[in-house]
Amino acid sequence: MPPKSSAGKEKDLATEEEVLQAVILADSFNKRFRPLTVGKPRCLLPICNATLLDWTFESLALAGVQEIFVICRSYADLVKKAIRESKWSRPSSGLKIVPIITAKETFSPGDAMRDIYTHGIITSDFVLVTGDLVSNIRIDEVVRVHKERRRTNKDAIMTIVVKESGLQHRTRSRGESGVFVLDPDTSECLHYESVIGYPPKTHAEIPREIFAEHPEVEIRNDLIDCCIDICSVEVPSLFQDNFDYADIRRDFVYGVLTSDLLMKNVHCYIAKEGYAARVADTRSYDAISKDILSRWTYPLVPDNNHPGGHAYDHLRGNKYMAKDNTIIMSRTARVGPNTLIGAHTTIADGASISGSVIGQRCKIGPGAVLKGAYIFDDTEIGAGALVENSIVGSGVRIGEGSTVRTGCLIADGVVLGKNARLARFDRVSRRRYLVDGESTDGEEDEEEWEVVEAHQDSVTSVLGEGSNAVVWPQSHSEDEDEEVDEVESYNNQRLMRIGDTASDIDLSDAGSVTEDESDSEDEDDASSIMNGLSRTSSMTSVSLPDPDVSTIHNLQASAADSEFRSEVKQSLDRAFAEGHSVDNASVELKTLRMASNVPLRRVREAVVEAIVERVPIVEGDAAKQRTEIGRMVARWGPLIDRIGGVDPVETVEVLACHCAQSSRLPLFGQILAALYQADIVEEDDIRAWHAQASSQAEGQKPGPYMDGLEKCWSVGKMMIEQFDEQESDDESGEGEDEEEEEEEEEEEEKGSAAQVPATKAESSEEEESEEESEEGSEGGSNEGSEESSEESESEESEVTKAAVSEKTLASADVPATKVEQTETKTTATVSTPAGAAEPAEPVSTTHAAVVAAVDSTSTATIKQVEVADPARKQVAAAVIEETQRTVVVASADEAAKPAPSGLSTTPLPAQAIAKVATGSTQPSRKTNNEEDEEDESEESEEESGESEEASGSGSEGSSSEEGSGEDSTGRDVGGEDSSEEESE
Amino acid sequence: MSSEHAVPAARAVENLAAKLRRRQIVGSREAALETVLVLRQVVAKARFSNIDQLVSLLREVGKRLAEAQPKEHTVGNVVRKVLHNIREEYNTAAKGAAAAPTRNVFSISKFVLQGQPRKQVIAPKSEATISLRENDPDEPDSFAKALKPVLMEAIQDVLDELETVYDNVSKTAKDHIHSDEIILTIGHSKTVEAFLKSAGHYRNYTVIVAETGPSYSGHEMATSLSNAGISTFLVPDSSIYAIMSRVNKVIIGAHAILANGGMFAITGSLLAATAARAHSTPVVVCTGQFKLTPAWNLYHDYGALDFADPSSVLGYEEGLLVDKVDVINPYYDYVGPELVDVFITNDGDHPPSSIYRLVKESYDDEDQHL
Repeated sequence: MPPKSSAGKEKDLATEEEVLQAVILADSFNKRFRPLTVGKPRCLLPICNATLLDWTFESLALAGVQEIFVICRSYADLVKKAIRESKWSRPSSGLKIVPIITAKETFSPGDAMRDIYTHGIITSDFVLVTGDLVSNIRIDEVVRVHKERRRTNKDAIMTIVVKESGLQHRTRSRGESGVFVLDPDTSECLHYESVIGYPPKTHAEIPREIFAEHPEVEIRNDLIDCCIDICSVEVPSLFQDNFDYADIRRDFVYGVLTSDLLMKNVHCYIAKEGYAARVADTRSYDAISKDILSRWTYPLVPDNNHPGGHAYDHLRGNKYMAKDNTIIMSRTARVGPNTLIGAHTTIADGASISGSVIGQRCKIGPGAVLKGAYIFDDTEIGAGALVENSIVGSGVRIGEGSTVRTGCLIADGVVLGKNARLARFDRVSRRRYLVDGESTDGEEDEEEWEVVEAHQDSVTSVLGEGSNAVVWPQSHSEDEDEEVDEVESYNNQRLMRIGDTASDIDLSDAGSVTEDESDSEDEDDASSIMNGLSRTSSMTSVSLPDPDVSTIHNLQASAADSEFRSEVKQSLDRAFAEGHSVDNASVELKTLRMASNVPLRRVREAVVEAIVERVPIVEGDAAKQRTEIGRMVARWGPLIDRIGGVDPVETVEVLACHCAQSSRLPLFGQILAALYQADIVEEDDIRAWHAQASSQAEGQKPGPYMDGLEKCWSVGKMMIEQFDEQESDDESGEGEDEEEEEEEEEEEEKGSAAQVPATKAESSEEEESEEESEEGSEGGSNEGSEESSEESESEESEVTKAAVSEKTLASADVPATKVEQTETKTTATVSTPAGAAEPAEPVSTTHAAVVAAVDSTSTATIKQVEVADPARKQVAAAVIEETQRTVVVASADEAAKPAPSGLSTTPLPAQAIAKVATGSTQPSRKTNNEEDEEDESEESEEESGESEEASGSGSEGSSSEEGSGEDSTGRDVGGEDSSEEESE
Repeated sequence: MSSEHAVPAARAVENLAAKLRRRQIVGSREAALETVLVLRQVVAKARFSNIDQLVSLLREVGKRLAEAQPKEHTVGNVVRKVLHNIREEYNTAAKGAAAAPTRNVFSISKFVLQGQPRKQVIAPKSEATISLRENDPDEPDSFAKALKPVLMEAIQDVLDELETVYDNVSKTAKDHIHSDEIILTIGHSKTVEAFLKSAGHYRNYTVIVAETGPSYSGHEMATSLSNAGISTFLVPDSSIYAIMSRVNKVIIGAHAILANGGMFAITGSLLAATAARAHSTPVVVCTGQFKLTPAWNLYHDYGALDFADPSSVLGYEEGLLVDKVDVINPYYDYVGPELVDVFITNDGDHPPSSIYRLVKESYDDEDQHL
């Protein structure tokens, strides 16, 4: 073979094959590495002594990428310089790297994508990665698969590369991950939902159509999303068209998948081999460093293909020492396993280093101890200093005898004096005027520094004499604008910090965070959580211990809710302030509810709360107070029933729950009376509420909330007593009524007013009496009362449900057996000690639910619960609730454990499962039996169907007592019910 | 000097270096082949007016390639071999054919082969017909022009050797394997595979293949052998010792042969060789001579074993374990010379003790460190 021919062949190849382009988003668009990133961009931080950008380039070069566009925003000059000076810009590297500087106004990856579009640089399918990637995956293989797919399906616009990992994996971000719903045959991504670590997200909602269209789906929560996307040319233009897409995952992928208009597909490539991960936060920085040192990234390891071009010797125990023999190490110094030491570093007598990365030209003083420390170039660690699980920037001097505890970040050039003591998770940088280099995002930085400087008074750490450092505050002040991304919220960020463990978030601080939350968060939030609780606790307590239940509900008060709450609050504020008509306000609320997809109860809570809190307080004058309340209720009361469903019982309950926590507890009676007066609440509703176990604060933890509930309940009791009295008095004339009224006025002053019903009784006397006589002696507890369906809506829909659930059962029977084989991956792949013992039933149960959902052809919502403590298996249970048109899959195991805290790590999952499985049978059977007794079931089902339609835009239809309970709070309760329905 | 020309075919060199570094080229033969092809390009494009320029140029290229992947010893070997051949060609051309043949009189390989026809080292084609004018100021390229055809042939020799290595090694297979013998092998060495298959044409014998975890390349080997009609057993690595008493011969491949007669071979080879020693079973290594490496492993350099990623031992998805367990997954074993009985090469059979001699013959001393 003459040489020419081979050269010619190469040329042919070059021209034939399209140039593979890649886009690197070199800006992180967040501040997780602050203050290390003061003065330089994140992509220039070194990991294992090579900058992240180098690792990214190497990862791409490995995959045969030829042309790379680097989108930089902050410190663009530095990035450009780094690229220019790196080995990558040499002509022989085979890479063409073009830095592109975007506007300062680029605040999100979405903006960057729009920028790419306007630049028009993309000519074919391209690889989109972030500037902090460490990967050895053969991306070219993925690109090939992607292009092949594109040939047959033009709508397959994106392939996401994900890496399998266990749920609890050091490299898997706990604060920011995603649930992928995949079709295992085509590996199409059917649905994506981002998951944040705190507040723990427990549900993923999956459109029902997915199950109708795909016989088999995998719901996976065990994937590392390494942000490698193979995008087609359309992707930037889609960003251009949808100006509100900010995040590539949360907005773009989610948007594309849920959009009915775009009709585009996204696929996933699950990398079985190879390694890929992103240095998205300090925690993953730590994890990826460890992965590199323990050679998971092979062949991208320090001794083989170091992206920085350094050469290291690989010694026993995964120790890497610079190869050029420039390390001066004392004979008595100890170097433990998994350590990397850069060239020209000096290690003095008695120093001990383990699990650390030490940069070039560092000086480690005598007796210094470094454990899990990441030390950049040119840093000096003084004699006897201790550095643990921290990242220390370059050119730092840490004085003798200093202590740097877990989780500290020390920025470049900081000097810590003798015997400095940094508290855990301290972030330290030089003083502002010492930080040279123009700050790029002017104002923002300015503000940041002000916060930092303001914080200095409260610093507890000792910085030592001659220090030039300032300590940064632990969290952003709360008053910062409310739009802080949930992902970036402080508590969620804690899950992404180096050295911060889950137990830490629960144990280390004064008071656990879970408690913190309910204490510190504003009353509104807490109340709605508690409202949710009150009903279900008693119901679930059949099978589950109470404290667990409460934690679950805290769990459920998740992201969407809080957003919705603030929206509703604003909307109502406007309505009240500007005096909107009830019609307009209700339309607005309905829209909001649709948009955030929250249960009706939340809306009700919000409205009731708004009314209660807006009643002007009149001190000392009960009568005036009453008129104020009357006016308020008359004006806004109707709104309660206009939000998309009428459920007076719930209204009372919500009112009680709210009042129980509010300072306006004394107004409860009066407001209830006013509602009664305004025909929003009927007598029966009050009775029904009163009969509920939850209204009596059963199952609540003792505390002010329980006291409040009890007070409300006693007020209700009084009212009901009055009703009873009236009934008997009706015959004896009206005179007594007036007497009553007088008496009651006294009571009212005590804070419990119930005279209004009395007055109302006068007006609607005839009706009342009829009803009362029917009800007869049932008195306080009308549970199971045989009321006619017109009268009691709640009863009616209960009946409906019974009928429906039977029907669904029947239809679900056959398909359920069909899908038994398939596995829901989330369940299957979570590794746990008890994993092997996991029975197959729960899995098939899930599928039974899924199939049932498909059968009942209306829109379904599958709630997929993520186990916050993944050491345990999830068991999914499900509810099909036709009237609600929702399918709810909840985690029974989750329900059984205080998952959010993640405190107890040694549960017995198998037992828990058994417990749930058996426990849940009973309630549902019970209800079934009860409902069986109701012979009119079919009839009333039709009726409820009608009423559902009648209730207009509310998709929830007639929210029955039970139904709404499930809908709002009792996901798991419902879940158990349905799982039973299925398993029967 | 060479820097002024830069490196010809720099792109090709860098490409290969990157591929070696990224482990996109694995396997000693493949790496060797690629290296020869690149060297041929370099020589073809090189501009030089005396032999030293060419040699230093090649050494520079060779250094870059060898440093890119120090674990692939054959890269350096091939560079040395090419240098050796080029010098020889040059010497022949410059001083006439007289000088060269005398060197081979003492060749130990020739001695061992006892008259087996050895490939003509000194090609008669390059008889002193070329007039070489080094450093001709008028025509700086004339030297290169005159010498290049010979150089190309020298390189072609190396290439030919690589391409025919399997055939040449397996030529003598039937002399080593006898009927009804039981042979134990490990891993999936192409050389061993060819050797066994070639013997299979003449003899009826049995092969026991060890699985060779964690790569389990033994599986492929077993499939391939049984497809060739050889009676094959696949056994777990753990039973190597137990079955050793029934084995007549252990035949294994090598990744690199060191000058002291030791070798790097796939993980598990040490196990097999040690077990064989305990049973006094002969250990036969089949290998091409391009794997002869002028290096030693005197200090049992830890990193020399080439540690691969742990994923084949412990799945990355085992999140909790990954955090707590350090997995060490060496790709090669170092098998000392005392454990090997004979090397069957493409150029005769040699005991470990004479390897140093072969190394000295194959390469020039000054190239030991590129």
